Amino acid sequence: MAVPILKQGNTLIASIQAALSDRDLLDLKDQLGERIGQVRAREVIIDLTALDVLDSFATRTIRGIAYTAKLRGAETVVVGIQPEVAFAMVQLGLSLDGIATALDLEEGLAYLRARGGNRAIRL
Amino acid sequence: MADLADQSPIQLLMREMGLNEANVARRQQIVDLKSDDLTRISTIKDLLVGHVDEHGDRFFDYLSTSEEGRTLTGNRSLLERARALKRAHLLAMVEGDYGVGYAAQRLELAVLYGKVGLDLPVFLAAFHHLLSGIGASILQQSAATPREGFEAFMSLEKVAFFDLGIIVDAMVFERQRVIHRQQDAIRELSTPVLQIRDRLLLLPIIGVIDTHRARLITESLLKAIRAARAKVVVMDITGVATIDSKVANHLIQTVTAARLMGAGVIVTGLSSDVAQSLVALGIDLTKLNTVGDLQGGMEEAELLLGYHVVQAASPPVPSPAATGA
Amino acid sequence: MPSDSEVPIEHEHDVVVARQKGRQLAAALGFSTTDQTLLATAISELARNIIRYAGHGRVQLRCLETSGRRGVLIVASDEGPGIPNLDLAMRDGYSTGNSLGVGLPGARRLVDEFEITSTPGVGTTVTLRKWLP
Repeated sequence: MAVPILKQGNTLIASIQAALSDRDLLDLKDQLGERIGQVRAREVIIDLTALDVLDSFATRTIRGIAYTAKLRGAETVVVGIQPEVAFAMVQLGLSLDGIATALDLEEGLAYLRARGGNRAIRL
Repeated sequence: MADLADQSPIQLLMREMGLNEANVARRQQIVDLKSDDLTRISTIKDLLVGHVDEHGDRFFDYLSTSEEGRTLTGNRSLLERARALKRAHLLAMVEGDYGVGYAAQRLELAVLYGKVGLDLPVFLAAFHHLLSGIGASILQQSAATPREGFEAFMSLEKVAFFDLGIIVDAMVFERQRVIHRQQDAIRELSTPVLQIRDRLLLLPIIGVIDTHRARLITESLLKAIRAARAKVVVMDITGVATIDSKVANHLIQTVTAARLMGAGVIVTGLSSDVAQSLVALGIDLTKLNTVGDLQGGMEEAELLLGYHVVQAASPPVPSPAATGA
Repeated sequence: MPSDSEVPIEHEHDVVVARQKGRQLAAALGFSTTDQTLLATAISELARNIIRYAGHGRVQLRCLETSGRRGVLIVASDEGPGIPNLDLAMRDGYSTGNSLGVGLPGARRLVDEFEITSTPGVGTTVTLRKWLP
């Protein structure tokens, strides 16, 4: 099951569906890397709204995707982590340190717009 | 599937308790109710039906002999209703149909008992009193055939215990519900998340933070972040009793979780003494964005969100001369 | 009560099946969405471990009811190589800031009761229990 990658201006948006297999996530990493190069995207949004579980493997892979994007010159924002999922992640001891996060797609786009300007919220 | 609004309270209670056909069958199994029992019960049916009011009275008379029992017998309207229900109960006990409808009938009385807060041991004693009265009359009736009489009573006892199982479960269930409601209220009071401005939440943490409370606080905060679409949280820990490494880890977890949802947390109220001892314990505080006091934290938060708080040149406070004193 | 089930863990897709079944079971019993997620996440970790280290195994899901308390029992087992140094594997890397070496100690934090037996060359069994508050 391939992950749909949409292009919005300079931004690529990957919406991860629930029940994604390990294979699919790894494929996404490769696909995204390619697309970024193809369309010379500067920004990537990974939308996790539909995920009901984020275990250590998925978290590692998403980090990998973010770093791959960075290597290709694109900034990544991870959005859509739900309260229950965020809670489970920290209980497990997981985090996405070093990767920008936002509440949802809307906020993610706003964040990228603001970064494009002078100010950036750094916390 | 019936709309929830259409269901009577009893039906709702049955669903919540899991009292469905399968469960009722299981309960019959537990008391070992068999068709032989039904046959035996039918032999004493007329006896019971003929004296149903007498037996019902025994139950309520016993209750009125104790203070706890009088919480029911002292309440006129509820007592009337209870008597009517009890009468129907006793008649149904010998009817031979102990299915979902029968169980629902037991629940009505149970809910009533729960409403007056009828003391459980006293209820059980009254129930026993009632049952032994029935037993005595059965044995009297079957003086010629004592064995059959005894067996019939034993069969009826199975039904009595079947009833008790349902009634006690229901009373306990309702009690638990009250406790949960109270716990929820306490929880709400102890983990307030306040929306100060658009996108800005204030989380004042006061008191002792154990694992359980830390979890409640984190859960409340995360839900509030989603609801308020917060981008910044000011978490004030001035009022936290002791901040040891465990508590510090809880707080770091909360901050990390908020970050995962795109909200940054400014921690205020962490004294430099406490900070130093935490660092000495090996806690990595670099993950935390700390500001000395609450006011400083609020100002930082407002700046981050692009708010620019300006004091009005002429504050709108009426001068003494204008108040017509 | 919802019925018990067993999910064979043969392919990585089974990880998702197992955790979804776990979530359904928890939901049917009345666990909060947060607790459902904690349970599903724990199952996901254990099931992935099975795939990664043993190749295949199974996850059993059962309802628990003892003295008025209800809960869920999860048994993840395999006949894989086992864990040679169990103590080390169970040591919590949390305080050292090791955020990605989570596995078992992490999963333990998500549930109420956690038991693990592992014999090198024979296999591993992890038993989890989570109770309704």
